[in-house]
Amino acid sequence: MSKEKLLYPFYILTHPMDGFYEVRHREKGSVPLSLLILLLFSISFSINKRYAGFVVNDINPLSVNSFQDFKGIFALFFLFCVANWSITCLVEGEGRLKDIVTVVGYATLPLVLAYIPATLFSQIIAENEEAFYYLVLGIAIAWFLLLIFIGIMTVHNFTFGKMIGTLICTFIAMLIIIFIILLIMTLIQQVYTFFESIYTELLFRV
Amino acid sequence: MRKKRLLFIPLMIALMLTFNTIAYADDVPYDTYNYDSWGDIVYTPAAYVPEKHLSGADLGIGNFVTPQDFYVTDDGYIYVADTGNNRIVVTTKDWKLVKVIDQFMNDGKKDGFKSPSGIYVTKDKRVYIADTDNNRVVALKDDGSLYQIISNPKSEVLADNFVFTPQKVTVDYANRVYVIAKGMFQGIMAFDETGNFTSFSGTINVQITTLEKIWRKFSTKAQRSRQSLFIPTEFTGIDVDSDGFVFATNVDNEGTQAVRRLNPKGQDVIDKNDKYKLGGDLIFRLMGDYSGASHISDIVVREKGIYSVVDSTRGRIFTYDHEGNLLYIFGGLGSQMGTFKMPTAIEKIDDNIAVLDSTNAEVLTFSETEYGKLINEAVGLRYDGDETKAVEKWKQVLKLDSNYELAYVGIGKSYLAAGKNKLAMKYLKLGMNKEYYSIAFKRYRNDILKDNLGYILTGVVVIIAGYSVVSRVKKHKREEQN
Repeated sequence: MSKEKLLYPFYILTHPMDGFYEVRHREKGSVPLSLLILLLFSISFSINKRYAGFVVNDINPLSVNSFQDFKGIFALFFLFCVANWSITCLVEGEGRLKDIVTVVGYATLPLVLAYIPATLFSQIIAENEEAFYYLVLGIAIAWFLLLIFIGIMTVHNFTFGKMIGTLICTFIAMLIIIFIILLIMTLIQQVYTFFESIYTELLFRV
Repeated sequence: MRKKRLLFIPLMIALMLTFNTIAYADDVPYDTYNYDSWGDIVYTPAAYVPEKHLSGADLGIGNFVTPQDFYVTDDGYIYVADTGNNRIVVTTKDWKLVKVIDQFMNDGKKDGFKSPSGIYVTKDKRVYIADTDNNRVVALKDDGSLYQIISNPKSEVLADNFVFTPQKVTVDYANRVYVIAKGMFQGIMAFDETGNFTSFSGTINVQITTLEKIWRKFSTKAQRSRQSLFIPTEFTGIDVDSDGFVFATNVDNEGTQAVRRLNPKGQDVIDKNDKYKLGGDLIFRLMGDYSGASHISDIVVREKGIYSVVDSTRGRIFTYDHEGNLLYIFGGLGSQMGTFKMPTAIEKIDDNIAVLDSTNAEVLTFSETEYGKLINEAVGLRYDGDETKAVEKWKQVLKLDSNYELAYVGIGKSYLAAGKNKLAMKYLKLGMNKEYYSIAFKRYRNDILKDNLGYILTGVVVIIAGYSVVSRVKKHKREEQN
């Protein structure tokens, strides 16, 4: 991977419009790099939960499970990407699944960049000073949302209104996907228990 | 030489065995636990162990029948309201019968009780009896003669068809009488020393959730009339502390606040703690056996701001300090020795705790263990403001139970006062007290900054100087090139 590609997410941080346009049309993005950023985010998220300073940390260290966080974040990520892709396909979005994955992955970069320093910073603050800590995290989250909005809008070549509409539809689609997955799971379970009971019946009778 | 050492080992073992006197959970017929800052259950040593069962048969006067209340005076006399037998039984604290009160002279005629279910004895030995089914409160002098009868209270705020059915009674230092009456949802009824009704004390506001409000909005008048009424919860038990503040317990199905401390104006002034609330168990099942929030049925105010409440849902006794910290939990339902069937009232006999069980018709006493004693003493010392002395006690508590957060906080605070900020931080963190941890941390941070101020300032000066030198050299070079 070229140095330019590696540094491209940092360029996007400050130039999201141009940056995501080039991701879509000049192949500047990279799916592995996007997944790597997401992995870094999942790690920094767990680190924050476990090592944030005593004053700002309301999480029982016994309940922190970094693998659980990793699974949750990736599941949500793929759910969003697939749901967004299936919706935008229908309304003439120009982005490919590859572009959506890249956009969402790259958009988490501000979170990675904020969580680790915020965790370090939280070690030296006392009560009444938490505001700074939450400010850093708040800015990072706002930036992350802004990048996702601009990114989705740019790669699909949508207007603002259309983007908001498709995002709402995306969330509905996510719910439908979860519903269908649950449905299939229960169905499979029923079928499985059916065959299992046939098997045990045979064991007893034959 | 070697032989001597061999002799020494069995001696050591024997010594170790004899010192092992702490009661752990398997020695008592109930779970002893507490809640930590995360709201999780932590098992602890037993703070109190069951001592003895005291029944009416032991006194030779026949068993009690559904006794509802009892009172223990400071000089050690126990007054039991033997509700089903319509009598008051007075014993010493060693459970020797003193007398049975079942009648008194009222206007020259003999008069008796009908289901007396509440009792209180003042400092000068006047006995106040909530004579429930006779709809009156009877006060008798120590010699058994009548002092006062409170019945049929009249007031504008009381409905005309109101029937006064007193259930629990208590009296403060100014002879004001506080009565919990059946079906009286406005609060505790307060009477002045002459027996006239003065006001309601401690009115509990009705809590309606938003959902219920919306539901009511959409229902018709006919539907609304058939819905259950929104009425405040009832008071269950009552006691008064030495400052004249009334402590009352009430039914709370949410488990958020079941204890109130009422000032003379009737307002709740209890110190609550977000962590523990004041409703008994924090974790409980919603359905099935032993489910639902704790039903706190009585309270006893103990010395140094400590008070204990008894829960009849699961038969547990919760003890809180004046700041609302949950100190320890013990007791349980069952049919074993040392358990209850239906605990209805709680009192203290010296250092022991006594609970009246109405179904078993007996009094069960608990004696404090080393663990309970240390906690009581440490909390008492802290209440008196003697935090440094309390540290020794807290350290001993930690030896018995290293999960006891209050002990860490107590030690941390005293280190903080002594200026040992680093140590204070360690202990306050273990005690999960963010507020005091922050104070210790701020001081510690300032100390570090102060000690290293020279280095920091030098560093800043060096960086600025270096930067200006470098930029000047660069400028110079550029000029030379041009």
